[in-house]
Order: sequence, then structure tokens, then C-alpha cells
Amino acid sequence: MKDGPTVLLLEHDAKELAQGRGIPVPEGRFVAIDRSGPIELVGSGPWVVKAQVPVGGRGKAGGVGFAATPADVADFVTGHAGDVIKGRSVSGFRVEERIDFIHEIYLALMVDASARAVRLMLATAGGVDIEEHADQVRYALAAPDALSLGAAACSLVDGEPAELHDILLEAFEALAGMFLALDATLLEVNPLFVTADGRWIAGDMKLIVDDNALPRQPAVEAVLRARADAYREPLFKLDHDFDYVCIDPRGQVGLLTTGAGLSMMLIDEMLQAERRPFNFCDVRTGQLRGSPERLVQVLRQFTLGRELAVVLVNVFAGITDLDEFARLLLEALDAVPALKVPVVARLIGNNFEAARARIEASGRPIEVEHDLDRALQRAIERAGVAV
Amino acid sequence: MNAFHLDPAMKVVVQGATGRMGSRHARLMKDYGTQVVAGTAGVSGRREDIGIPLFDDCAQAVQATGATASITLVPPMDVLGAVTQALDAGIRLIVSPSEGMPVRDALVAVAKVREHGAHWVGPSTPGIAIPGRMKLGFIPDVSLLPGSLGVMSKSGTLSYEVCHRLARRGIGQSAWVGVGGDAAKGMRFAELLPFFHDDADTRAVLVLGEIGGDEEEELAQAMARSCFTKPVFVLLAGASAPEGVTMGHAGAMVHGGTGSMATKTRALRDVGAEVFTSIQALVDGVVASDV
Repeated sequence: MKDGPTVLLLEHDAKELAQGRGIPVPEGRFVAIDRSGPIELVGSGPWVVKAQVPVGGRGKAGGVGFAATPADVADFVTGHAGDVIKGRSVSGFRVEERIDFIHEIYLALMVDASARAVRLMLATAGGVDIEEHADQVRYALAAPDALSLGAAACSLVDGEPAELHDILLEAFEALAGMFLALDATLLEVNPLFVTADGRWIAGDMKLIVDDNALPRQPAVEAVLRARADAYREPLFKLDHDFDYVCIDPRGQVGLLTTGAGLSMMLIDEMLQAERRPFNFCDVRTGQLRGSPERLVQVLRQFTLGRELAVVLVNVFAGITDLDEFARLLLEALDAVPALKVPVVARLIGNNFEAARARIEASGRPIEVEHDLDRALQRAIERAGVAV
Repeated sequence: MNAFHLDPAMKVVVQGATGRMGSRHARLMKDYGTQVVAGTAGVSGRREDIGIPLFDDCAQAVQATGATASITLVPPMDVLGAVTQALDAGIRLIVSPSEGMPVRDALVAVAKVREHGAHWVGPSTPGIAIPGRMKLGFIPDVSLLPGSLGVMSKSGTLSYEVCHRLARRGIGQSAWVGVGGDAAKGMRFAELLPFFHDDADTRAVLVLGEIGGDEEEELAQAMARSCFTKPVFVLLAGASAPEGVTMGHAGAMVHGGTGSMATKTRALRDVGAEVFTSIQALVDGVVASDV
């Protein structure tokens, strides 16, 4: 898979969005982890019970089960409610009708960043083992518009058995429409079931949407907000307009840093020195606009870190006025009195001396450094014992 | 398409020159020596005097001034519109610093740029510069020093830090191009290779890459194909990025084995590049190489 800006939706949420656009999916219901009372079921069985977790390879990790009776469904849900799959907790379950099919097809659309185009993919032998049969997947490239996607779909479908043509073209048209309309970077349907009576149904669905496009995607935003626990990080970015990711809840060093690349590099170097960083963030100091709000948001997150021993601030101020930043930092620290750990602030750039004087006058336990390696070293010392 | 090149005397339109950020950066770029000849109004539509002639749109600005380059200082949702307007006006080189441009917009912009045979750097780029001569974007003056290192970087801040440390050790840059950290972008590392190959002032190349995507692997292939003989120094950030987690930059993400630190490091070392995993090691390596 290629990369792209990402919000991976839970399968259930992706299918609800698809169904809203008239795309056929197996009828199903969401079962919350903390449900009370009986499970609402569609039809008379059999059913498929699927753990809802935003990672791929869920089936192979034991997150999907088949159930013949309501008791089987309840057993599976109870047995897997606390599961963690590839580091992510299960958010709930989708229980849906099991589909009888005569063909399983693999169909996907994704942004191909290298080709700078949309890649359409098709294999008429779909299923969970598709990655092992990657040579059977055929693909075509298209511009991100309906006309170009339609032409690429035609060229792919042409190579398939005639009895599948109409079904595949219809599926491609519907799914390409969804891909464009939702600003998706990946829409993968595997398997896409073809039934004996000639219908197609999206059996499983993986949808990744572009988080940069969320401001123009109210329907997707509503889905994220309805399940805020599962989508904490994209919602944080949407609400606060900067990136924050908790890397290690047992982390020792809280990072209040600006710039994605440099922040990543600091994390790498800290781990090389055997200290655990708590988080990644890019506060974008150029956009603080005289308000400590962003800094307050990050410092509040730090109060959740039980082993957090030091905060490392790094600002390379090409344009930003460091004295202004120092004022905002002190205001932010005042606003989060629960955070009591020492701070190492590496500041470099415009108005450094005024910033240092302001911080020293505050009497707070803040060490001001000019050199990044020295600041990193001080933070590593403050973080105490090695991992 | 004409080969990408940088002319220190190129005339520049600032698209979105009237906002708080636009007017400030228009002045900073002009003060640095960039031939900022025109501006167009930003979203606010305000027309205060910022010391450069203001026009309603890019076409008028180009007609009146003969500008061939532009920088789009507009909100992320407006970048595609600004790029389209610049291309239609005949602009040949566009730089887009905005962070947060939707991917679909970027793909459409790339297609249009190709159609016009122009060049587009960004989005999410700190900009481009020929130290001591001109800059388009936000690259801080303290990191810029005329010299012999050709710089290409996905990350703004990491390049500021690295080049600042190198500058303090007396090593400057011949040219600096921030390609930006987004996955879908106008200018990729490999596409800059012919420029640095041909540029007589460039004696070695500094690459600041990140985990995710396949730009570094693509660069290695292009180096092999073109028999690139200048020394190449690489620093890769994100060795510790958890799988599947986006760390701010859209491109900085790992999906199942491609775009990993190992594939990038191997590909680049195979073609003779020196690859480093800490800033200081890279700086010491460049200094010791005597380029």
C-alpha cells in the first residue's frame, strides 16, 4: 500500500457511508463494547461477526467469526470485547448477514503518490489471501475525475469474462463515485461478492479518507464525531489545526516542538539514547496568532503521562518572535498548573535574548538552551534512568 | 517540458500578498533580494500599500511585469485555484507553501502543471532559495549561506536545523529546494537530480528524507540511471515512527514494508550515497568529506 494523509475508518462506518450512497453492503448492525441487553440481529442467520478496529489484517488476527445462532454471536462478542489487534483496541463489532456468493472479487481505488494519479485495481480471484496473489491483480491509472476513472475501469474490465462485465462496470462506477465524493485516498472492497442471481455486494470495505479534505466533507466529519473515541487523533487535528500523536503512554519526555521532520528526528535521537518520548507534535508556531491555546492543549496532554519527567521545547524561529513565544509558553504553563515537571526550552532565532530574560525572570524551572544537542542531552538526563 | 532550473533574477508574483502573512513574507523575500515585482490580493481583498504593485489577478500581473514565477500564499483549500490561475497566466514556476492541501486537489494541480509544461514545488514546502541571491518562501536567513551544497528536503524545520549547523561550520548551499512532506506533490527528489547534476556551483547534494513513500528509493534509481557522480549525503527522519501512524507530514507513514527506513537506506547506499541517522553524525560526515 502507498501512503497518503489518512483517516482509516472503521469498516462499519465505511459501510454506512457506502449504503447512504446506494452501494450494496450486507445488512448489519454495530454492537458496542459496553452494550447491555440482547444483541440486535438482522435476519435469521447465519451471521458474520467482525471486530471493528482501524487496522488491516484483522481476519487473520482472529477478529472475524462466523455464527449460526444468536448465542454464537454473543459468545464471539463477549470473547473478543477486550481484544487489542496490532496495538489498537477493538471499538465494537459489526454483526451482519452472511452472504452466499459464486465469485469473490478484489476491487480497489487508491491514490498512487508516485504516479500522481488514481490507481484502479482488480482481481477476479479476491479474498483474504490477495496479498499473496499480488501478481493476479491488474491495474490502470487515471486522473481523479469520473470520466478518466470510467475509461480506466473499462480497460480493466475488458480483460475479464464477459458474464462479469456489467457487474464490474456498475461496481466500479458506484465505488469511483464514492472515492471522489468523499476525498478518499483508498477504497478497497475485498471481497466483493457476486451472487448467483447476478448482484454484487461489498463484503468487506476499507476506506481511508484524506484528513486535509475534512473541512469540505461534513458527512465524514459527522461520522468521526459520532464515534469520537475511535477517531481521537484526526478529530484533534480537525479541532485544533495541528498534529499531536501520543507515541508511548509510559513516555518520559513530553515534546512541545514545531516542524514534523525535526520532531521526528528528535524522537529518533531520543530512542537512540534509550529514552522514551511521550508524543509527537507539530504546533506550528507561525500560526499561534498571539494565543497560548495550542500550547495549553499539548501541555494538558502531558498531564496524562504518569512517567513523564521532563518537557522538551524546541523552536527554530526563522520568522517567529521568540520573546512572544516565551510569553505564550509562560501563559500556557500558568494555565496547566497540574503539570509540575521541569522544562528544557531550546530556542533559537529572532529575539532570543529577550526571550531568555523573560523566562529567567519568571522564576520557573525552565532551562533555556541555544544548542539542540545540549538541550536534548539535558532532557535525556532529566528523564532519568534508561528504558 | 523545459528542465527545471533556478534563475536568481526571475521576476516573481506573490499570489495572496495582502493578508497578514502574505504582506509580511512579500517584504521579507524582497528584502532578501528576490525580484518581487507584483502581488495579487488575497482572500481578504484588502489593498493596503505593501511596497509592490498590486493587481486583481495573475494574468494582469504577468502582463504588466513579465513575471515568470509565483508563490501562492493562500489557504490550503485555495491552492488549486491559485495554481490554475498562475498557469493560465503563463507562469513557469510555482511555489506553494500551504500545509493541508487536499490530495485530490494536488493530483489535479499536477496534471495541469504537466499540461502547461511548467514546474510546481509543494505543497507544504518552506520554499526554494539561491543563498545570497533570492528566496521564495520561508527559509530562515540564519540557515542560508552561499556555498556548494545542493539541498533537497521533505521537511522544513529539519533542513533549517541541519543547514544552520553546517553554516556555522562554514558549509553553505548552492541552491535549496524544499519539496515538501506531502505524499502527492509537484516536484519529487528524483526530478531535481538533473538540475543539481548540471549546476556548476553544486559540488555535493544533501538529501533530507523521511520515512514513508518511495521518493528516496526513486531518487536512488535515478542516481544509478544518470550515473550521478557528485557526493550525496542523506539524513532520514522517522526511524521510530510507529507503523500506520501519520506523524504530521502526510507522507511520513509506513504501510506494510514499502517506504521503510531499511528499504530507503539500502537503496541509497547501493548507489553510493552516505546515509546518516542523526543530525550531528550527518554534519560531521559532510564536514569531514571536504566538499
